[in-house]
Amino acid sequence: MRFLVAIKDTSEESKNILQIAVQIAKGFSANLSVIFCGQKSRAIIEGQVALTRLSLSEWNIYHPGIEVLRWAFETINGFGVFSDNVLGFDPAFFSENLGRLRLILPDKSGSYVRLLLREGDLVSELHKETQVRSYNIAIIGNPENKKKIHQYAQFLNTSVFIIKNFNPTWNYRILLCVDDSEATKRAVIFAAIISKQFDAPIHAITVSKTKRFGQNYRDASRWAEKYLHRKGIPYHVSLLTGNPVNTILREAALDHIIVMGKSNNNELIKFISGSKPIHTAQKSQTPILLVKS
Amino acid sequence: MLNDFIRASLLWIYQKKWLLLIVLFGVVAYWLPYPDSISVRGYRTLILSVMVIALIITEPVPLPAVAIFIAVLEVSFRIAPAGEVAKSFMSDSVFFIMGSLMMAVAIVHQGLDTRLALGLIRLTGNNINRIVFGFVGISALLSSFVGEHTVVAMMLPVGMTLIRFSPSHRPIPNMTALLLFAIAFGSRVGSVGTPSGGARNAIMVEYLRNSTTDGTTLSYLHWLIMAYPMVILGIISTTLLLKMAFKPEYDNLDTAIRKLKIQVAHKGRIKGKEILTIVIFFIIFLCWLTLNERIGMGIIAIGGAFLYMATGVIDWKEISKNTNWGIILLFAGAISLGVQMRDAGTATWIGEHIIAATGPLTDRYESIRYLVDIFLTTTFANIMSSAGTVAVLGPVTLHMGGNPLYMALTTAISSSFGYFTVFAAPACMIIYSSGLVKASDFLKAGWRLGIASVLSLMILYKFYWPMAIVLTNFK
Repeated sequence: MRFLVAIKDTSEESKNILQIAVQIAKGFSANLSVIFCGQKSRAIIEGQVALTRLSLSEWNIYHPGIEVLRWAFETINGFGVFSDNVLGFDPAFFSENLGRLRLILPDKSGSYVRLLLREGDLVSELHKETQVRSYNIAIIGNPENKKKIHQYAQFLNTSVFIIKNFNPTWNYRILLCVDDSEATKRAVIFAAIISKQFDAPIHAITVSKTKRFGQNYRDASRWAEKYLHRKGIPYHVSLLTGNPVNTILREAALDHIIVMGKSNNNELIKFISGSKPIHTAQKSQTPILLVKS
Repeated sequence: MLNDFIRASLLWIYQKKWLLLIVLFGVVAYWLPYPDSISVRGYRTLILSVMVIALIITEPVPLPAVAIFIAVLEVSFRIAPAGEVAKSFMSDSVFFIMGSLMMAVAIVHQGLDTRLALGLIRLTGNNINRIVFGFVGISALLSSFVGEHTVVAMMLPVGMTLIRFSPSHRPIPNMTALLLFAIAFGSRVGSVGTPSGGARNAIMVEYLRNSTTDGTTLSYLHWLIMAYPMVILGIISTTLLLKMAFKPEYDNLDTAIRKLKIQVAHKGRIKGKEILTIVIFFIIFLCWLTLNERIGMGIIAIGGAFLYMATGVIDWKEISKNTNWGIILLFAGAISLGVQMRDAGTATWIGEHIIAATGPLTDRYESIRYLVDIFLTTTFANIMSSAGTVAVLGPVTLHMGGNPLYMALTTAISSSFGYFTVFAAPACMIIYSSGLVKASDFLKAGWRLGIASVLSLMILYKFYWPMAIVLTNFK
């Protein structure tokens, strides 16, 4: 599997994102790619900026994005990810590839950590990255506004894990949202792996707007229950009634990681009016993983 | 499958929303009834100009595509026949932009920045006040001849290395901002000193030559005489005002200077190629001073690029890799549009409307005309860079009445007042993206420098330029 982790800077939030990404990647035995999207200069001065950057690199002053990735390397190294034969971070080893700068480093598990540098709008650049290389999960920080969450959820053709207000000292539980959508089974599998990594119990909920639960909902809930039972994960299952988004948010409170399937509705309808997962992600105050079917 | 297609289409719309809006504007404006006060050709040129400015600011397509867009629409809108459009794409100022960009690559490639650093340290010592004055002064003096982008590429490494070597036991945000802005703004104020200080100056010389019927033009020497006092005033005011905005945490930088000396010492004695680079540039400078009117600045600039390649200072591969050819194409297109704006009467129409908007004030106070020019140019320069501003705004300001020579100089000089945003100049972009200065620092320093620059320019306009014209017997 391949995970793409986007970091904004060298802040505590970015450190938390890297920590959660490393922990989950271990569970999935996934290759990790850390991406930093720097601010793009105006095209009209791009050439002159490039010339100055060239001159700066002669003085060992590199693109600020390289420095952020150096920090990311050191942070990940602190989690004991890299194999012993990785000597250190050398900006000279970055190579230009498919419109971005890339550095590949081996990790202890035998897979690789990629450090990627792009410039431009984060949504567009992450989309480009997922086009040139397929990823299973894109892990991103809390975007500056709700509109961006909508764009990530809609335009990134991969599962999206939005890390909101993550506190590494808390004991998180998993809130698994089960319904009759195509992505539910995959969401259950993902939740089970994450649960093992975080040693967190799962609360699997199925929410119906009315008191009557359709057969599909009951089947999905039963399947999730069986799967979790088989995997030996501590769980409990609830069938709840109410507005799905509000109910999920109420159950999640601040100490759950929400895992739910991405909607398979028509993209145009999603673009105009959103979807349950998008609205939940927009309003959620905790990390949320939207799983693509 | 259908959903994937819809998603891809929606993403395209999200990324190209400005392009769609601009095209929509163009289509609607094209079919709207034309105002009586402007010709059909002039109105279509106006539509094209608005679209081009919007495309440069919002960047939904690569800039070379904007140049192509200009050529295609100039012919499609029947603004000019294809042959004429093709001709208007190439001029001496396009040669100048091409030559100066190639020369910049050659000069930066030689690593003269270490020599510059050593020279600067010898001059200033380790006192912070003298270092700031040295940074502003050297950046300004050099950029007035070799161009802002070349100086920034050579000076910023020196400044950033000094910051890196500074004592780090307590934060030094003010000193960091002071040193970096000294280079960024120093090279800005210097770039107006001569026509070779920036592409915008060369473009303005070209516009002035084409706009006036009495053949008013500005030689290299004339420009230098008229504009250089602005550089001197700029060096003094920038040094003083930056120190007011950012009070340094230390009085001297002895540790940093010592480390910098060690870093640059390993370069050894000056090499033959470095001497050759300086000699060739000196020859080019002399040619600009003496032959500019006879053979044109652009030809001299590309002659310089030829000399650098012929003498082996730099090879073509390096020049080709590091020169932004797209920007040359964009300026060629923008200048072509400027020519059409003049010929179709669009420039006059816009200029008259802008001045009419100021009401009777302009009739009573001639200075208002120039203040309006400064305001417009400064605003655009902070949004879309100096050269881009002059390329699209130059023809208009030259038709806002008043003395065309004064207007040309006012536009070119005020296009360097890009103190307020990170987008105005490459140096601003780099120091901001490095995270060493904040966006608010630009405003903190910018408003002081902005006011000082406008005042300096108005003093020049009111007192110095009339005197200089009389004394130099300028025609």
